[in-house]
Amino acid sequence: MPVEIPKEKWTGKVRLVTLGATAAEGGTRTRRVTVGGGTTLPFLFFEGDMPHKPVIGIEIRDRKPDDWSPLLGLAWGEAMNDPGDWAKAAEQAGADAIVLAFNLADADGKAPTAAHAKATVRKVLQATGLPVIVNGPGQADLDNELLVAAAEEGAGERLVLGLCEDRNYRTIVAAALGHGHLVQARTAMDVNLAKQLNILITDMQLPLDRVLMDPTTGALGYGIEYGYSVMERLRIAALQGDSMTQCPMIVTPGEEAWKAKESKVGEGVPKAWGDWQERAINWELVTASSLVESGADIVVLRHPESVKRVHAMIDAMMAG
Amino acid sequence: MSKYIATRAIRGATGLVGEAERMLSQAIADKGPETPVQFPNTAYYLPTILGLTGREVSTLGDLVPLMERARSLLHPVPASQLWKPYLGETLDAGVGTLLAAETIEAVRFVNGEQPERWPGFEMGGGTDYPHLKDGHLNGPIDDIQLRSWGIQLVDGRMPGFAAIVGCAKSNEVAVELVRQLQQRNILIFLSGNVNGRSIIHQLQEEGVEMGYDTYIVPFGTDTISAIYALGFATRSALTFGGMKGGMPREIFLYNKFRVFAFVLALGEVDDLKYAAAAGAISYGFPVIADTVIPEIRPSGVTQYEHVISMPFDEIQAENDLERAKKMVQKAIEVRGVKIRVTEVPIPVPYGSAFEGEVVRKNDMRVEFGGKHTRAFEYLYMADSDQVEDGKVSIVGPTFADLPEQGAMDMGIVIKVAGRKMQTDFEPVLERQVHYFINGASGIQHIGQRDIAWIRISKAAADRGFNLEHFGKILIARFHADFGAIVDKVEVTIYTDPDKLKFWLEKARTAYDFRNRRLADLTDEAVTEFYSCTLCQSFAPNHVCVVTPQRLGLCGAYNWLDCKASFQINPTGPNQPINKGTTIDPVKGYWSGPIEFTRQASHGFVQDVSLYSIMENPMTACGCFECIVMLIPEANGVMVVSREDPSMTPAGMTFSTLAGMAGGGLQTPGVMGVGKYYLTSPKFISADGGFKRVVWMSSILKQTMADEFVQVLEREEAPGFLDQVADETICTDVDGLLTHMTEVGHPALEMDPMF
Repeated sequence: MPVEIPKEKWTGKVRLVTLGATAAEGGTRTRRVTVGGGTTLPFLFFEGDMPHKPVIGIEIRDRKPDDWSPLLGLAWGEAMNDPGDWAKAAEQAGADAIVLAFNLADADGKAPTAAHAKATVRKVLQATGLPVIVNGPGQADLDNELLVAAAEEGAGERLVLGLCEDRNYRTIVAAALGHGHLVQARTAMDVNLAKQLNILITDMQLPLDRVLMDPTTGALGYGIEYGYSVMERLRIAALQGDSMTQCPMIVTPGEEAWKAKESKVGEGVPKAWGDWQERAINWELVTASSLVESGADIVVLRHPESVKRVHAMIDAMMAG
Repeated sequence: MSKYIATRAIRGATGLVGEAERMLSQAIADKGPETPVQFPNTAYYLPTILGLTGREVSTLGDLVPLMERARSLLHPVPASQLWKPYLGETLDAGVGTLLAAETIEAVRFVNGEQPERWPGFEMGGGTDYPHLKDGHLNGPIDDIQLRSWGIQLVDGRMPGFAAIVGCAKSNEVAVELVRQLQQRNILIFLSGNVNGRSIIHQLQEEGVEMGYDTYIVPFGTDTISAIYALGFATRSALTFGGMKGGMPREIFLYNKFRVFAFVLALGEVDDLKYAAAAGAISYGFPVIADTVIPEIRPSGVTQYEHVISMPFDEIQAENDLERAKKMVQKAIEVRGVKIRVTEVPIPVPYGSAFEGEVVRKNDMRVEFGGKHTRAFEYLYMADSDQVEDGKVSIVGPTFADLPEQGAMDMGIVIKVAGRKMQTDFEPVLERQVHYFINGASGIQHIGQRDIAWIRISKAAADRGFNLEHFGKILIARFHADFGAIVDKVEVTIYTDPDKLKFWLEKARTAYDFRNRRLADLTDEAVTEFYSCTLCQSFAPNHVCVVTPQRLGLCGAYNWLDCKASFQINPTGPNQPINKGTTIDPVKGYWSGPIEFTRQASHGFVQDVSLYSIMENPMTACGCFECIVMLIPEANGVMVVSREDPSMTPAGMTFSTLAGMAGGGLQTPGVMGVGKYYLTSPKFISADGGFKRVVWMSSILKQTMADEFVQVLEREEAPGFLDQVADETICTDVDGLLTHMTEVGHPALEMDPMF
């Protein structure tokens, strides 16, 4: 019996957003990355288009973090000691973009300075030709200081500055406006808050094709269904024509998955949990691939092996 | 529009354009039209010219057509017998002045006359000119500094800039003006002179450091150098507003709405200053002069008044320093600059974590109100010039001489002013006093109005907390949380018995007035309701429609709260809903709420009635204070309180019922409501109103007893509440029906509910 597949007629489209600028656009990147453009939910090719596949950002730090899993240390090795080397290694590992995140403190426990932010951004820009996303340590005041410096140093490169949140969006958006960058607009798992932040950003005259929405997520077993549902609703609203939700979405499954006990703890856990490394990578993989299914355009990961597997998953899905 | 100003501005502009033409032809004759011109520290060519005309001037020859343009903007000086609106002509003259001024400065750069040489002048940060090693003023601001300050202007850390032109009454006043501006983080640009003496001289003589580091930029000692301020403003719009050269309208509007700048004209205002001021007005920057000049008060091109005259010696104050302070305050008001207060300046920790704190009798230093004394709080709105922002006064004795655990009377009177303030917001703001004061560690606040009860703990008093700090808290918090509607806050604490009595009477009159106002505030009397979508984070398709007679189901937001909330946060969860056309006034159908709910519920709720529980009732999130539910057998409804854990005649407890009533689901016969909605004449009025209540949690009967008295009067059913059953009478339908029959409940005789 022939089965007719019901099709949804969407009127909206996800906005196209391009990260990074090559020499032609006044930057020094060798590659740009464009995301968005979808006219249907992810991978439903019978219903609409998905002109740009979801991409992967790899998170690196300004210095080797003290609290990352030893498994990640094993994977990246010596490269973690230098953000330039780490960026190169990440590029080799298959990153589409580099996410440079600053630690809250340097090795002596002091807060990083604007000068340090500039030097690190410079180093990473020189080490890789990929688009760069710069994240502050997540404290509004410090983020402002570091991101304004990073914006200045990377002028013309079409960096993405984050996290641009309710409490500090004005400074981050101003820095993006002043130096031609994009912002990563983060809100706490809420459709209306995400919309509201986009309205506020637009109100400051930053065009929405320079905004990535970060709706926040949780890891598998730690609230992923909530994050998934918010992203799905945001994407449905975008496809229904709500302009303020039509920005591509970026999420950080790597950070979330590596916080979970299942990936963090190798000893004293039930035998049935199996091999530690395999379990940790799977945790990141399942978290990331679920979010890709719910509409993520950029997933930020930590382990090179998960990067490989998520790439494989995306490629298989794109093949239809 | 003042004809006087028009005349002077046009005359000034005509003079300056002539001067620019002469200087330009001389320079072309001396050096040739191909001679490059530029401000050396910007990539925006001559920025004001670029912004207003789109021309990328790079040689002297490029300036020639601009002079023609400037001349074309000069209209004849108004004839002495002709009276008409001159604003257009004056603004044109202003723009002509700006083009001419920038041309002159460009030619001066070519001639090596800019920046202004000043041997021995040292700047703390500024553009470096190696050929002027022995000292110079700053000239134009460079692009790097523009971006750095621009970010702060855009994100609001820096509220705006003040372009000071001329010379202050004395050195002392000059310093005070600058200090007042610095305290508010306002950027300061200096230029101009009066009879050769400039504010730059005055500050230098007083040893005030100038330069980028201190946010004080000395442009030059003539009025023409004030063009650098507008070049800065123009570049802000180009850099941060995404505008291109040749978009004057957009650039002006950007500055009007986003760059909070103003001009302080000190000393005599000559023709050229009028002309330059006319140029500033196009950017939306008002002019405040310290001399007698005609004013332009109606708003339009600027947000509020255009030109304000504040003759310095006539400012009412103790001394010149106070006058300088008042002048800055006035300038800030006229421009609508909002200053952010970040910290609450009190000697004890402050934060919402301390809100629930209880101060027990033994730990108490002093109390106000409660059993033995009286405390009240009263907030009212006043005209802006009657409120001195930030001032706290204590009228009467403090508690210093009181014994430990003593008590005394106190009245907290708060006077606020704001361009967007409305009398309707008075009670909304007054209610915040409770939360604001409770945030201080060691302070307990209960009640409101004239039944307030406040305690200060021994620990807090030991750390120096005294009466003044109530004022400090309120001022800081009102600015921080309600800055969108409140511009100025002044607090007076009364402990003096006579004064206290006087103000208590005033407050009571106001409370009474407000009560009556609330009673008059009916759904019919307004054109707008408000939405609340605050709870969509967990109930994604629920929309509250809040009307004057139906408050939010959580009890936390009434119509006035929503109205104020919208003013404070225009993109937030409380949006005005125009009622639109009335479809059915009895059931409460209006086109506006229906359309809004459809859209905001993402198509989930198609129709909503505001006064019926049986037909398209309003949905609920989960925060409701009470659940109203149909009891079919009783031909009425029961009302269950959130605080009532007992069984109900519906066979379910509150928590089980909550699952049916919440989640944004529309279930006829079930509704979640705020408890004060029970007292509204619009309470399920389409289904028979309050008399439909057959059962009600006893806690509601007790806590709402006073309010219900009025409802019963309105319903002309004095003994009705005794006919309503509660959990002490019955918890099943049979028992309920028996009770109703025994007491003769009116619902039994009413029309069937469905």
